Amino acid sequence: MFDTNITLNQFVEAIGDTFYMVGMSLLLGTIIGTIFGILIVVTKPGGIIPFPIVYMILNPIINIIRSVPFIILIVALIPFTRSIVGTSIGNNAAIVPLIIFITPFIARLVENSLLEVGPGIIEAAESMGATPFQVIWHFILPEAFGSLILSLTTATISLVGASAMAGTVGAGGVGNIAIVYGYQRFDSFAMFSTVVILIIIVQVIQSTGNKLARMIRRN
Amino acid sequence: MIILEDIHKVYLRKKVETTALKGVSLQVDKGDIFGVIGYSGAGKSTLVRLVNYLERPTSGKVIVDGQLLSDRSAHELRQIKKDIGMIFQHFNLLESKTIYQNVAMPLILSKKGKKEIKERVTELLAFVGLSDKANSYPNELSGGQKQRVGIARALASNPKILLCDEATSALDPQTTQSILDLLKKVNNEYGITIMLITHEMSVIQKVCNKVAVMEEGEIIEQGSVLDVFGHPKHTTSKNFVQTVVRTEIPANIKRKLAEREVSTLAKLEMVGDHATEPVLQALINTFHLDVSVVFTNMTEIQDTTLAIWYLQIEGKESDKRAAWQFLEEQNVRYEEVTV
Ligand SMILES: Nc1ncnc2c1ncn2[C@@H]1O[C@H](COP(=O)(O)OP(=O)(O)O)[C@@H](O)[C@H]1O
Ligand SMILES: [Mg+2]
Repeated sequence: MFDTNITLNQFVEAIGDTFYMVGMSLLLGTIIGTIFGILIVVTKPGGIIPFPIVYMILNPIINIIRSVPFIILIVALIPFTRSIVGTSIGNNAAIVPLIIFITPFIARLVENSLLEVGPGIIEAAESMGATPFQVIWHFILPEAFGSLILSLTTATISLVGASAMAGTVGAGGVGNIAIVYGYQRFDSFAMFSTVVILIIIVQVIQSTGNKLARMIRRN
Repeated sequence: MIILEDIHKVYLRKKVETTALKGVSLQVDKGDIFGVIGYSGAGKSTLVRLVNYLERPTSGKVIVDGQLLSDRSAHELRQIKKDIGMIFQHFNLLESKTIYQNVAMPLILSKKGKKEIKERVTELLAFVGLSDKANSYPNELSGGQKQRVGIARALASNPKILLCDEATSALDPQTTQSILDLLKKVNNEYGITIMLITHEMSVIQKVCNKVAVMEEGEIIEQGSVLDVFGHPKHTTSKNFVQTVVRTEIPANIKRKLAEREVSTLAKLEMVGDHATEPVLQALINTFHLDVSVVFTNMTEIQDTTLAIWYLQIEGKESDKRAAWQFLEEQNVRYEEVTV
């Protein structure tokens, strides 16, 4: 029917690879990125636990990593990746740069979400004699939860895009099919269908995120 | 209960110094409803935030319930804060939590048991008249209801002091009245000392027994509400009092008076029982003076009446002098004024 060299199995496998890479790097990136985001907000001058040194170290590191294009990050990190996963090619090898890429991004998004919580809420918390940890846990995080979900949605979509470049280090995934078959072998069907699949994935992630955030905000 | 001694507060932001308080001293006694009034930027919020040490003084002493706060560790200060409730202009409720959870928050922070929390929260919601809203979220409530939640939350940890920073400023007059009634109830039933901040003199009039007037970081006048309302000394205090009690003759009456020959214009000020005593008859019958009322105003403050009379008085000088003598004996404040 179509003039293509690609099989359905390859698609299924590619989608699986994409989910694996995105899922793993999202999980680790979220944990580390959220911690960094919280640290930045609370250690900021005028924050609830002002600690200028932590802030002055974290803040530029995040900026530096964020200014490196992902494709360069992949290459630059090859030695580091090899020392961690034992190889510099494949899905697992792609996860390392993906985590390094997404963590600072999530940290910034988390920072913004947390900063949306008004000073009045923090004032109320402090007037109740809450410890700094309690302020974060019982006040800031629950109030920012809806916004945090939206931030993670944005991060996930970024990861889907970035994971498409993971083919560079021999990883699989939907993006890899687009490059290997669509771009390098002029297989328009492969190109077209991967784009459609990516669009669907992004749409599903975005609307799930929106729905979750709305649910959390209402109740 | 609360003693502030010669407090100075300088804010330093981006290398710009703002002096918010310039040597403020005051004392709030147990059971008081102490009002602080002033225009925006006078330093009221800074003042009230010193009491629970949300703000530290640059110099001066803050003594709450006999404890000098500057001597206390961060841990001890958190314990002290649990004895001081606070409510806010914009309520500052957690939008992500139910009314029940909001009120329970101070108890959760103190790691109280589930059963104890449930009992206390149920009692508090009943006290503020919101038992049916336990499972609602703040955004489903009106402003007045939100402030009731704020009050319930502030009372959760059984505080001795309640601080109110412009607690009614975002509410309409009717809702304001109901919140003020609730504050009175808090003061009466729980014996909680209240310090409240406002820019509305009517709030002071309705609930406070003492008042301090602030301007540009200083307390320019303080005393019992009756005293300050009866005879404010400072221009700003006068302006505030004017907003609820007309102590001055209206301009159109003044104009008419100016056209007439008036020998004596007297301002009489009577408080409490005196306000209703037949002083006027005495002036006419006993002292044979010719009295006409130019302007009068009666206001209820603190369940007593404050009456102000402007009288045009004609008669013999000797009779007038005898009358003044009589007024003095009657504890009526008397003052000759010119138009
Ligand atoms: N955190 C702050 N940093 C710098 N200046 C402040 C801060 N808080 C208040 N001020 C300044 O202190 C003065 C008094 O403010 P405030 O106590 O809020 O007055 P009020 O409550 O009577 O309106 C104002 O000039 C205000 O700009
Ligand atoms: Mg204020």
